[in-house]
Amino acid sequence: MLKPKRMSRLLIAASRDQMAPVIAELYRHNLFHIEEYVDAGAEGYEGFKIGSPLSGASEKSADLIRIRAMTNAVALSADDVDAAPSCSRDELQTRIEKELPVLAREVEELTVRRSKLDTRVKELEQKIVEITPFLDVPADLNLYHGYKRFTTIAGYVSREVIIPVPCEMHFSKGKEKNFLVVVYPTEQRADVEKALAEAGFQSVPVPNESGSPKGRIEFYQGEIATLNREIEEISRTLDQVKAKHASFLVACEELLKAEVDQTEAPLRFATTKQTFVAEGWVPTDQVTAVTNSLVHVAEGKIFVTVLPTDLEHDSVPVEYNNPDFAKPTQVLMDVYSRPSYTEVDPTLMIAVVFPIFFGLILGDVGYGLILLIMSMALRKYLKGEAGNQLLDVLRNASLSSIFFGIIFSEFLGFAIPGWNPVLYSRHLMSGEHGGHGPNIPELMVLSIWIGIAHITLGRLLGMYNHAKQDHGHHRTLAVMANFGWLAVMWGIILAIWSVAAVPLMPDFTGLPALATVPGLGLGLNLTMFIGGALILVGIIFIARESVLEVIELPTIVSHVLSYARIVAVGLSSVAIAMVVNFMTFDMFINPALENFSIISIVLILIGLGIFLFGHTLNIALGILGGGLHSIRLHYVEFFTKFYKGGGRKYNPFGMNRRFTEE
Amino acid sequence: MAAEAVIAAVDVGMSVEQIAASQVGMKAIGAGLAVGLTGIGTGVAEMGIGAAAVGAIAENKDFFGLGLLFTVIPETIVIFGLVVGLLLLFL
Repeated sequence: MLKPKRMSRLLIAASRDQMAPVIAELYRHNLFHIEEYVDAGAEGYEGFKIGSPLSGASEKSADLIRIRAMTNAVALSADDVDAAPSCSRDELQTRIEKELPVLAREVEELTVRRSKLDTRVKELEQKIVEITPFLDVPADLNLYHGYKRFTTIAGYVSREVIIPVPCEMHFSKGKEKNFLVVVYPTEQRADVEKALAEAGFQSVPVPNESGSPKGRIEFYQGEIATLNREIEEISRTLDQVKAKHASFLVACEELLKAEVDQTEAPLRFATTKQTFVAEGWVPTDQVTAVTNSLVHVAEGKIFVTVLPTDLEHDSVPVEYNNPDFAKPTQVLMDVYSRPSYTEVDPTLMIAVVFPIFFGLILGDVGYGLILLIMSMALRKYLKGEAGNQLLDVLRNASLSSIFFGIIFSEFLGFAIPGWNPVLYSRHLMSGEHGGHGPNIPELMVLSIWIGIAHITLGRLLGMYNHAKQDHGHHRTLAVMANFGWLAVMWGIILAIWSVAAVPLMPDFTGLPALATVPGLGLGLNLTMFIGGALILVGIIFIARESVLEVIELPTIVSHVLSYARIVAVGLSSVAIAMVVNFMTFDMFINPALENFSIISIVLILIGLGIFLFGHTLNIALGILGGGLHSIRLHYVEFFTKFYKGGGRKYNPFGMNRRFTEE
Repeated sequence: MAAEAVIAAVDVGMSVEQIAASQVGMKAIGAGLAVGLTGIGTGVAEMGIGAAAVGAIAENKDFFGLGLLFTVIPETIVIFGLVVGLLLLFL
């Protein structure tokens, strides 16, 4: 928690004949993040070479490529198939040998035929394009060719042109360009070309066809329709193949990928003639288990040891270490950047705070329920891991939305009947729907308090991170600079409290003035002095680390005030919902019900339309507003205080089997 | 305040209610201007950043998080506008 998983650097050395079982065992564990060996003459690796693949690698790769070609052809992705580990390895192996070639041939034949038909359709379409300009010329297409002494030329000209030689020509005026066909004696080519060039002539090929242009186009269109029908037929067959063999194909792909990964693993190891050495990372708590099982499969003829970790130079792969409920939030972390190994992993904080922000912004029982249903229903369509994690985030956010909806007493913009908002109300319209006015100032100050707390936490984490990561003089400076930022912020807050009474915040305006500013008559009390001192000390600390940073001081105010968006964006969503409800009921449905007639039905329908459209729009805006603004408060206001990121993803050698068994 | 309003009402020939109503209207106009103008400001600022961010994401998807961050930085401007607008209307 709050720290990435601890990793240990493991070194494995054994004789070459142990390679296959060791690789298989490592793959089964799915824990060993291989540190690839590069042939760069690293210290201690003199005389080592990159290993060569195990036997059977090329056949397996070829099989894998064939499978992938098929899954591509039928547009099948493993994410679309529900995980069902049904087939055993041997069973699948025999099926791969027996069924796969047949299936591959079938799919290949179909796809080849389909692509041939596609090409034919393209050719025919090109022909239609070529003939189209000749539609306006009242001549059969066979009249354009077959002459010995005459040449036919066709194309577009910018204006009407006079050919200075005896010829047959047809000029048809178009909207943008004019089409021209000329048949002229071949020996007078030069004159004709000169005259045409002056008119900005662009030639088009003369189609080698016979019959009327219209007839030919209709003929080709007919052929294209037939071909398209055939293509559809093939696509349908491919879909049937996909539906029938989907689970087999994904299982094959998984099995073969596992085998290819294993046979090619030596390419990442350092080897000599007799031995091999593999380095990599294993979670510290798994080291004993991995070591023991490796020793077991190699019957003791293996050397496994933990190398010391050098945090300065080693780039340790980072694996999250979070409780289950915080795991989906990792997707939000990866969007920004994975934490580095030595810093605090804020996933858990986001997992708690993000839904709270979302709920505060979109606190509405109705919207929360709709989002909750959405996050359940979309699971059918989003099967990938990242998609599921996002849906989990949405689910948590919508639960929080429902919770705050009860607190704010809101249901699709209406007040929940018989239930008053706890603490503060966001009901903008007092009267029929609201009852009592909104507590805007209180809510605003509340959000500022959230901002102050969040930023203070961020700065404290910044101090902690610098204390952990940096060394020597720089470390002291960096920690103190972070303290400086915190001091300036609290100094400003104290100064404000000493001169202005803000609701929900301590009021120090009543303290006796210790000094007065001459001329202004402004009394300076104790808190003002403490605040001023904090600001001064803070600026000195910041400037000691980097003088340029001082120009960033205004961000202290803007970042804290930025948290006001929690209320502002939330209120705008409430406002839209209430306006939609007002239009639906007060403008359409209620007047219609008062004097019921035929027109009333129309009015009621319009009202319902507005209701549906308005709330759909508001939900979309609510997801965007609630989600983006909440995450932005983390990325911009929170992370900039302490978070660096840039960690390398822990990518263990192995796979999470979904369709096959060991 | 009330006395001034009455005097003003006499001066321009408006009733006190009309003056009060026009004050509410002025507040609403102010709030609208605050949100609208800051919205334009945010839009102008995000225009360039957004285009550049999309370009960068097209080159390298890992830039998405940072690109989003850069793009939403000017959003603060319109939020300030919204805050000012709300304070005008409700404080």
